[in-house]
Amino acid sequence: MIHLKIVHRILGVLLLIESGILLLCAFFPIFYGEKDLFGFIMASLITACCGMTLMMIGKSARHKESGMTRRDGYIVVAVSWVLFSIFGSMPYYVSGYIPNFTDAYFETISGFTTTGATIIDDIETMPHGLLFWRSLTQWIGGLGIVFFTVAVLPIFGVGEVQLFAAEAIGPKRGKLHPRISVSGRWIITVYVLITVLCAVCLRLCGMGVFDSVNHALCTAATGGFSTKNASIAYYNSHSIEYVITFFMFLSGINYGLLFFVAFKGKVQRLFEDTEFKWYLGITLIFTFIVAISLYISTPYDAAASIRNGLFHVTAIITTTGFTATDYTQWPPFIWMLLGLGMYFGACGGSTSGGMKSIRIAILFKSMRNEFHRILHPNAILPVRVTGKVIPPAARQSVLTFSVFFFALVFIGWFFYLAIGIDIAEAYGISLSCLSNIGLTIGDHGCNIPWSDMPVIGKWFSTFLMLVGRLEVFSVLLILTPSFWKHR
Amino acid sequence: MKIVIAGAGNVGIHLAKLLAGENQDIVLIDESEDKLSRLDSSFDLLTIQESPVSISGLKEAGAGNADLFVAVTTDESRNLISAQLAHDLGAKKTVARINNYEYLQPKNKEFFTRIGVDSLIYPELLAAKDIVDGMKLSWIRQWWEFAGGALVMMGIKLRDNAQILNKPLAELGKELPYHIVAILREGVTIIPSGHDTMQAGDLVYFMTMKKHIPHIRRIAGKEELPDVRDVIIMGGSRIAVRTAQLMPDYMNLKIIESDLAKCNALTEKVDDKVMIINGDGRDPSLLMSEGIQHTEAFVALTDNSETNILACLAAKRFGVTKTIAEVENIDYINMAEKLDIGTVINKKKIAASHIYQMMLDADVTNVKCLTFANADVAEFNVKEGAKITRNPVKDISLPRGVTIGGLIRGKEALIVTGNTQIQAGDHVVVFCLEGMIKTIEKYFN
Repeated sequence: MIHLKIVHRILGVLLLIESGILLLCAFFPIFYGEKDLFGFIMASLITACCGMTLMMIGKSARHKESGMTRRDGYIVVAVSWVLFSIFGSMPYYVSGYIPNFTDAYFETISGFTTTGATIIDDIETMPHGLLFWRSLTQWIGGLGIVFFTVAVLPIFGVGEVQLFAAEAIGPKRGKLHPRISVSGRWIITVYVLITVLCAVCLRLCGMGVFDSVNHALCTAATGGFSTKNASIAYYNSHSIEYVITFFMFLSGINYGLLFFVAFKGKVQRLFEDTEFKWYLGITLIFTFIVAISLYISTPYDAAASIRNGLFHVTAIITTTGFTATDYTQWPPFIWMLLGLGMYFGACGGSTSGGMKSIRIAILFKSMRNEFHRILHPNAILPVRVTGKVIPPAARQSVLTFSVFFFALVFIGWFFYLAIGIDIAEAYGISLSCLSNIGLTIGDHGCNIPWSDMPVIGKWFSTFLMLVGRLEVFSVLLILTPSFWKHR
Repeated sequence: MKIVIAGAGNVGIHLAKLLAGENQDIVLIDESEDKLSRLDSSFDLLTIQESPVSISGLKEAGAGNADLFVAVTTDESRNLISAQLAHDLGAKKTVARINNYEYLQPKNKEFFTRIGVDSLIYPELLAAKDIVDGMKLSWIRQWWEFAGGALVMMGIKLRDNAQILNKPLAELGKELPYHIVAILREGVTIIPSGHDTMQAGDLVYFMTMKKHIPHIRRIAGKEELPDVRDVIIMGGSRIAVRTAQLMPDYMNLKIIESDLAKCNALTEKVDDKVMIINGDGRDPSLLMSEGIQHTEAFVALTDNSETNILACLAAKRFGVTKTIAEVENIDYINMAEKLDIGTVINKKKIAASHIYQMMLDADVTNVKCLTFANADVAEFNVKEGAKITRNPVKDISLPRGVTIGGLIRGKEALIVTGNTQIQAGDHVVVFCLEGMIKTIEKYFN
């Protein structure tokens, strides 16, 4: 059974919150005296009206009695991401800075899903308000729209478990606190802390206040929107690159783990955690290979090779997608390697996208076990993560996830080939959207002009981004017929 | 001395029998009348049919004025509660048997003392320690350390290739780096004197120091035996899990367990170094495919003593040099020895002797009950003016069946020979036939 009234009610509340956030952004046009004020006011009003309407429809919901089901949770999550993106695109569209609705929607969902692909050709001409809203979409989407709003404003008092399960990043983990809304608040605290620290560090490295805040928002969210056309390359500053590398890496760690490290001082937990070890290992190995290759095949000296290698490998693995230089100018071996790195993603329970290190670890251990099984047919071969045996059902769901993920990359690849994009780039775009990175590979540079893509390509990209961000199953589940049957 | 034992399980009964032979006041509490009735008629002890966690039952058993209270039911929580209750009633020292490694950690010791449990005993862990020690020195059947490892005693099975066979001990030389404290021949324990000889097939107990171990290995003809690297354990019991955890990193372990559910449970308890195999450890084809020919040690730890003995025999046929069998049925121990199964592990004996040492006078810090040799090893601190200090050892008429193996003087370990003069303050290790400890105590006090 789907409780439509509850679903309406929750969506209505979520939209009202979005309307409030939009209204706050109107501060920027007033402060800077720019022309996008009308866009924010209108967007906020429209969103508020729709939110009210949805709440009216769901007014008589007796959710205390009937309770939310898992289905309701999945619907709310999937629909709220789409609705948030539709209403979030209003400021761009109404203010006329992005006159085309498809483009405005693309930009917004690319923000919320922390992809960071932009259809804006000249970012630097945009008003401050829209730029800030653009970064804020990433920051809100980083930990998940529903998670963010529910954790900040525990307004429902019911159904949080279902909602969080539907929006979870990575396989299920142990809870931080018996009450999910409390753990949510702890995680948000870590998130805010990372963002503030990042902004302060960037400011100290010489970035302007407005740019520091924007880049900090997008770094903590592992999003990758920049306020400059050339991304981080604009600043041409080694210290800024190192600061961003560090915070990208930090944001890729499981936030529950970061909480224990930051607030309980349990640093050893980090190095006991299998996923973190894999994340660190993958990053270091990729950096090593890329740095060596750069040193050999480009004019970079050792320091530049390491800095560029580290920055771009981290940007790709954490699925942030900042660039400090156009890496497609490097030899194809290196950018194809980065193209491989796009699969991995950082840790579950972080803001990053991709497959997540935990799944990679389980996948590799399962593969190793298959070889053992040939030699020892009677052996019981468990997969252990952080010393705990992964139950077979969880192992299987990781395998299924991986198959779906690969299949979607290939479907996307063929789709983009069909609409006339060249072969390397089509692969890059498909994987980049699904992993929420926003960079691609190929002969046209890593930040391709997404605005040139055919309309159908843009819509398909938004679909891939959402599927990738909600970890494949949450979206695909809603598209299955059995989800809608009343039993 | 009044001793209350709660729980008439295997350990409890064995301990009760052991202590009853020592003329102590033993009270045994258990709920089961069956278990108690068999004991009551044949041993000199008092049985009380009550729950070990019942306050009135404990009062009736006189836990309030007990010198030692031992809780050894199979249930850890009941043991802890029972010991706590007894402590509150006034028992002087309480011991509880547990199944949880965490409880044994030194940092938790203070906690258990606070709640009234003075000592914890974990038979499976003790057994696992014995197994791992046995595999580290695979040519040795039994191994004890005294005084923190300064002195060691080893039981070695001599074969035809040993260099010291068929010579009276007195002719082996003076100032030897070892002292032969016992010989087990065809089930009979001999405490040897100068004219006894060693023969092929004897299990000989050497007392020596660690630095002389290679010398003993040579004279015992054990040099060509390989060190243990690959180990197969049959049966995924708790001892197996503990063994896996205590095993040094250079050893590779496979555990063969026939119950699939148990296999899955095992995976939760061990780490990636251990391979769990689902199958019957007695199946030769399975053993072959898991490489029994290249395995140096085979340990049988199923619940069934017969199975363990047979599996070890089968493993011997594959050429495994070190076999260890858990034999819980005490009657089989001698038979297992006759069948030439390497080391025999008996949880009850290990646990009971561990508790037994707690009961002995405060000066005695370690008594081990030897599985094979019907003998006890005790450590004493020699007191001022004790009988033993008056003459060199050879001139003191120690009763037959007692020999002094070695001593610690200051920080130095010494092997005791006939000419050794024992001094007050020495820490001596004495080897004697079963039940004689109380009678020899007077020589040292």
